[in-house]
Amino acid sequence: MAKRVTIDPVTRIEGHLRIDVEVDSGSVQKAWACCTMWRGIETILRGRDPREGWVFAQRFCGVCTTVHAMASVRAVEDALHLEIPANAQYIRNLILIAHALHDHIVHFYHLSALDWVDITTIPKADSARAASLADGISSWPGNSHRELELVQDKVKGLVASGQLGIFAHGYWGHPAMRLSPEMNLLLFAHYLQALEFQRKSNQIVGILGGKTPHIQNLAVGGVMNAINLNSLATMNMDRLEMLKSLFQDVVPFVQQAYFVDACLLAGSYPEWFKYGRGVANYLAVPDLPLDAQATKFDLPGGLIMNGNLASVRPIPDWHDKPIRAAVAEDVTHAWYQGNGALKPWKGKTDPDYTDFQPEGKYSWVKAPRYDGSPMQVGPLSNILVGYATGHAATRKWTDAALERISSVHGSRVPVEDLQSTMGRYVSRAIRSAMLSDVGVKHCQLLTENILRGDAATYNPPQFPQQEVEGVGLHEAPRGTLSHWVVIEKGVFSNYQAVVPTTWNASPRDEKDIPGPYESSLLGNPVADPSKPLEVLRTVHSFDPCMACACHTLDARGREIAQVKVL
Amino acid sequence: MSESTGVAQRRVCVIGLGNVFLGDDGFGCLAVEVLCREYDCGPHVEVVDLGAPGLDLAPYLFGRDLVVLVDAVNVDGEPGTVQAYRESDLVHSHAQLRLTDHDPGLQESLARLRLVGRAPAELIVIGVIPESCNFGERISPIVLRATSMAVEKLVRLLQARGFDCRKRSQPGQADASPVLSQLWRGSTPETARSFHAWRHGDLRR
Repeated sequence: MAKRVTIDPVTRIEGHLRIDVEVDSGSVQKAWACCTMWRGIETILRGRDPREGWVFAQRFCGVCTTVHAMASVRAVEDALHLEIPANAQYIRNLILIAHALHDHIVHFYHLSALDWVDITTIPKADSARAASLADGISSWPGNSHRELELVQDKVKGLVASGQLGIFAHGYWGHPAMRLSPEMNLLLFAHYLQALEFQRKSNQIVGILGGKTPHIQNLAVGGVMNAINLNSLATMNMDRLEMLKSLFQDVVPFVQQAYFVDACLLAGSYPEWFKYGRGVANYLAVPDLPLDAQATKFDLPGGLIMNGNLASVRPIPDWHDKPIRAAVAEDVTHAWYQGNGALKPWKGKTDPDYTDFQPEGKYSWVKAPRYDGSPMQVGPLSNILVGYATGHAATRKWTDAALERISSVHGSRVPVEDLQSTMGRYVSRAIRSAMLSDVGVKHCQLLTENILRGDAATYNPPQFPQQEVEGVGLHEAPRGTLSHWVVIEKGVFSNYQAVVPTTWNASPRDEKDIPGPYESSLLGNPVADPSKPLEVLRTVHSFDPCMACACHTLDARGREIAQVKVL
Repeated sequence: MSESTGVAQRRVCVIGLGNVFLGDDGFGCLAVEVLCREYDCGPHVEVVDLGAPGLDLAPYLFGRDLVVLVDAVNVDGEPGTVQAYRESDLVHSHAQLRLTDHDPGLQESLARLRLVGRAPAELIVIGVIPESCNFGERISPIVLRATSMAVEKLVRLLQARGFDCRKRSQPGQADASPVLSQLWRGSTPETARSFHAWRHGDLRR
């Protein structure tokens, strides 16, 4: 007998998401992803001055504010064919890298680790054994026996008090939780230590952006950071050194704690390389430009169809014509007027709420399609595209991860297996390890460029009277982000944001083809329908952030997830 | 963990919370902006508009002597009422008092900070009862009027703890930044022009 399970809302994500699954004989047969918040912010931007669009766009989401600011200025610059100075590229890149590191660390430890780590077993752990386990695989100084003992004492106190507080709603003791008490202790210690690095990445964004969240240093045409090596008040050698040392502080945590933990987790739960593949079409756009003209990038872009890495089509730069022609958003199953798909430049946002109708309209998220196909976006797409195109840093870190995972698991895990629930967690860690190196590198690039005597940060925009179109692309922490703008007589006449979570949380389309969340859940095991931990593992692997996929927040939101089994 | 590098942290953090597109929910952002424009709170007090940061609230609470959150709160009562709450009010009468939207981030951030021993020594919420928090709305007149009351409360609270808050003779610029909630609230060609003139000069002459 099939059972219908509704999880509403899914917790430990940003924003509100409802997932419905039909479970039969212990696995998911059908799934629906429903976003319960309305998207409408684009309407606010229409008629506004394009130079101020980013100030509003960065309020799309409370968490990834900078990514929308960046996509917005890039969209306007694209429409105006406006180049920005090299310094502006580096400064923007440093902000994007620091934001991404922060975001990935928070996702792994604070938003998803507790799906795999059972903290209630920590009091039973042998802390000396946990320390020696860590000793063999990592040089991280936070793994000392003393440090782990302290963490264990804190957890003992918490468990003994019977007041688990925010941890009270975990699926503790669930049969799918399988790490040893020692591993649980080690990962939870890093969960607590991660706070420090969340702060440091934030400081980098603050130093460059003037403020965080909601950076203040952007402008259409560049950045507003003044550069003068002889002034105390501007970007000078001291400031540059401070940035570099902040990045250097974050590197060991990312590479020796987060990266190692993700591989340890993956090797301990190898069956999760078999589940959660879903839509095997991958899209990533190039990012972190290395020159003013944005012809070379530190992160490669490309497209992979049907999981076939050999078929990769590289996206060389942001002028790529096919991507501009291929993207459309379908509203057949979304609560907007009409059916079928529209290109973002022609996109509309007119609501048509019908209640949850599994065969009709059932979500506030539109269904983006690439030449009619659903696409998966995110760190996994980023890593697969990099691997398939032979990108050296991606290859280095992916091979290192697969080697670590294989040695924990005891048999070889090939790169193709990354197309899975666990692959998404591992890819995010690979991307972070890579980005932490790139952060130090871009500090260096900025310093060298300034020392060559270049202090330019801004080229003023000129607005034509006639209508112009532009797209701003950014490979954000959750995947490909694009802002599509139409400008006429110096104001926006249309504005559409196609965000990563819209691609991944997409509902079915005109042809009834489900989106990545929905298809990744098919075949997912569910041991106990009243405790659908396994469903959460797959959903969390995408790092859902509904706030910008559907823009408004539910002002009186519920707090604790209900699981309803019918 | 080492804390050798980085920016020296101020002892007090005053945080505006809210979504500026949701009518009165943007109250916290507006109130801290007004505080910055009208008062110089000295070297120990950091004042920030965090919007709706979710779990990203934690770094701003980390290790502070005092944190003051300014936000719209869901409690019964007359819209526009401004009230201060202690941390214990949040914990013990949780069902009655809930910050609009941002609460899960607050409770989780506090719990994590307590585990690492870096929770703020004191936490106070200055809350206003909203009239309406609908999408695309501006702040209602009644809550707008309550803003100056909230700012005075904030100033008295900081002064009572020995932090020197002085009224500015000329309005200051909040973090020397464009004033989003004003821009949105007013949203007249006038405010938009002054925003751009401040940033770039008028480029479209």
